[in-house]
Amino acid sequence: MSTKNQQVIIVGGGAAGISAAAQLAEFGISSKIIDEATKLGGVVYRGPLRHTEELPHLDEFYQKSQKSLQDKYHNNKDKIDVQLETSVIGPDGANGLILSDQKSLSSLNYDYLILSTGCHERSVPFPGWTLPGVMMMGGVQLQIKSGLVRPGEKMALCGTGPLLPLIACQLHKAGVEVEGVYEASSFTRLAKEAVALLNKPMLTLNGLSMMSYLKRNNVPFHYGWGIVKAEGKEAVEEITVAPYDKEWKADLSKARTAKLDSIGIGYGFVARTQITQLLNLEHEYSYQSSYVPRLSGNQRSSKDNVYVAGDTSGILGSDGAAFEGQIAALDIALRMGAIDAATHASRTNKARKGLQRVRNFRFGFDRFSERQLGMLDLPDDDTVICRCENVKKSQIDAAFERGVKDITSLKMATRAGLGDCQGKICSAYCYDRFKQAGHAERMGQLRARFPVEPISFAMMED
Amino acid sequence: MNKNYDVVITGGGAVGAACAYFLSREKDLKVALVDFKKPGNASRASAGGLWAIGESVGLGCGVIFFKTLSKQMNEAKENGGELPPLRPHQLPDFFFDFALTSNNMFPSLHEELREKHNIDFKFEETGLKFVMYDEHDRAYADQIASGIPHLSDQVKWLNADELREEEPYVTPEAIGAMNFTCDHQVSPFLLIDSYTEAARQNGVDLYLNTMVTGVETQGNRVVGVRTDKGTISCNTMINAGGAWASQLCEWATGHTIPVYPVKGQIVLSEKLPKIMRGCISTSDCYIAQKDNGEVLIGSTTEEKGYDTTNTLPELKGLAQGASKCLPILKEMNIKRTWAGLRPGTRDEIPILGPMDGIEGYINACGHFRTGILCSAITGTLINEIVRGKETTLDLKPFLYDPKRFEDLEPPFYG
Repeated sequence: MSTKNQQVIIVGGGAAGISAAAQLAEFGISSKIIDEATKLGGVVYRGPLRHTEELPHLDEFYQKSQKSLQDKYHNNKDKIDVQLETSVIGPDGANGLILSDQKSLSSLNYDYLILSTGCHERSVPFPGWTLPGVMMMGGVQLQIKSGLVRPGEKMALCGTGPLLPLIACQLHKAGVEVEGVYEASSFTRLAKEAVALLNKPMLTLNGLSMMSYLKRNNVPFHYGWGIVKAEGKEAVEEITVAPYDKEWKADLSKARTAKLDSIGIGYGFVARTQITQLLNLEHEYSYQSSYVPRLSGNQRSSKDNVYVAGDTSGILGSDGAAFEGQIAALDIALRMGAIDAATHASRTNKARKGLQRVRNFRFGFDRFSERQLGMLDLPDDDTVICRCENVKKSQIDAAFERGVKDITSLKMATRAGLGDCQGKICSAYCYDRFKQAGHAERMGQLRARFPVEPISFAMMED
Repeated sequence: MNKNYDVVITGGGAVGAACAYFLSREKDLKVALVDFKKPGNASRASAGGLWAIGESVGLGCGVIFFKTLSKQMNEAKENGGELPPLRPHQLPDFFFDFALTSNNMFPSLHEELREKHNIDFKFEETGLKFVMYDEHDRAYADQIASGIPHLSDQVKWLNADELREEEPYVTPEAIGAMNFTCDHQVSPFLLIDSYTEAARQNGVDLYLNTMVTGVETQGNRVVGVRTDKGTISCNTMINAGGAWASQLCEWATGHTIPVYPVKGQIVLSEKLPKIMRGCISTSDCYIAQKDNGEVLIGSTTEEKGYDTTNTLPELKGLAQGASKCLPILKEMNIKRTWAGLRPGTRDEIPILGPMDGIEGYINACGHFRTGILCSAITGTLINEIVRGKETTLDLKPFLYDPKRFEDLEPPFYG
């Protein structure tokens, strides 16, 4: 087969997907990006969904990165075919995908496939977490960045990691009153990671300037504090926060409340692996990112012509995703004969070095932000864990008491994970319960099913 | 794991869990249940139909076969050719007895498990309607009815108006239906869960998420079950291994049994308000609305080894079959699909009871498409065998005998 006609398909047009496509284009290789959104860029860099002259609430650093990713695409446009508003909902045979545009289904074959489907947010159940006004932090950010709306008038942020100060600043600049920011980990844990953070001095400086911005504007930032519960009639009206100990167990004796109209919750992200699962790639459990595909050095999965790049292969953020996309593209270019081994080696090494710097930085934050299982005590008996199937914590407890040791049996006993979202929301909590009970190694995976998102019966007509 | 058990059951699907429950009722035996959820596990994939007559006459899962037949007939007619003889796929009388006896146990079993053990497996009296679209369907239904004269009191005919009255969402194209009034449904998940939990409450040790890796024997006697967590000693092993039963039998006895995986793909809708009063079989598929509102559509019959992938043409066939019967579905969504592996046998009859020349080993496998339905009678029979009691039904036709499978045509699914 002539390599010229070989089809390279990229699922997900975020930092990883665009970087891969641009890298392939540099070597004359055409590719096709499939993305479910109306714009390229992924969740991080998609930008506003309607026209706007300026984005005063977003910092210069972000706007530069966004511009650079957009340029990558625009400079290589003639080699990058883009199909937007299209979801991949499953595999079709050995080397094909089934696509849905909400109206009809179609098939697409590939010779090489790069899956860069990103991540979704880690849900942390606590009493009141399903009230309107309780939002995930990524969702909060999307509202300001893409929707250009203020998520609330008076807000608090609870969670961990570098997104907290970033979003707090963005909210404040957008005119939201930020009641407080509650970082679950202690400041001493952050201080221990000072060396790691110097791997990305610009980012660290940027972080420091955000912290001083918050200070200047009297936005309190509490280390070692976290959410306890949210309350309200129709929507959230009040939250309770408390100091967290090392295990992130809340000290209720020191709890206090705050009146507000919305809250952002962000305790990390989970790799979005529904498609990698449906392709039957081998996966391994990662405490940080949940199940991730098992990869070789060049982002190659257990299926020889399928690559995984970006947060889908483990949460690393958009800088890391860009390098991973590039590494996958370089490997494909080599296999298609577009570059020689020496070029491949030198370019790959360079990308790997960049990736390593991101990792060293990121891992510092990951150690600081490592989720502690004390939070599993937050939900009450009546707190809903699986929102689709309305499964309460007491039902999960009962299944554990009966000796359930794997996720499949838990699903059958409680229906957790059997809803429309296929367990994207509740699985994080359930996996952590198995981890806490000492069964993580053998708990198994909540398997994704075709179609990854619901499709209408009408779409199945010929 | 130094315990010695009277009985170890390998396989915790509907059949294994039922065995555990019936053996534990008197709380006098030391029983262990070993289970590992493999992809394709049929009990988990099941629709949960208790279609005692329907399945025995080749409806429910058997409809894909009929569809092929029906198509051949239409082609023959169009070409002016001779019509092939109508021959509904009917199982022998002893299987009807077996299936109906089991079916009759469910109302009291439902009550017993709910009252004593506090689990409700959602038994619903639904009937199973064979919805007819044309004269071929009616001729086929007539053949079925004439094949089961002794069950005529369980068969109710509905004309088009009566069908519309009972099932207002069924297409107006339908010319009527044949309703098997004793065929009902359960939630398969909850049924297994309730057997298992009741067994646990009765003192059965559960070795969950534990994979069987071999069987310990001494001479011709089974003395233990090897697992990835250690060996479990026992006096008797019960093979309830579903589609994996042949491997377990070989480990225990040195002989394989002809139980093999038969793949069935299933389509499930999102949760809907109640649009069906009973379960339905057409010549395209079966359709059952479960207790939580999801409409479940099955099922293909494919021999693809242990493959559990879903394939679009087959899923489309099922979805189209369901939309044809219930046009309202065209406005609804498909939430998920999956595939299960039925433990098939060439004669479609389970393999139950001991094996000649082997001590301490009992088969409880090969239930093909009726594992959920026949779990209750299987548990009853296995309990009787273990205790050396006279069995409720004659075991002979179910025993493993190589002659049972000689000279059998390959099954209709290919």
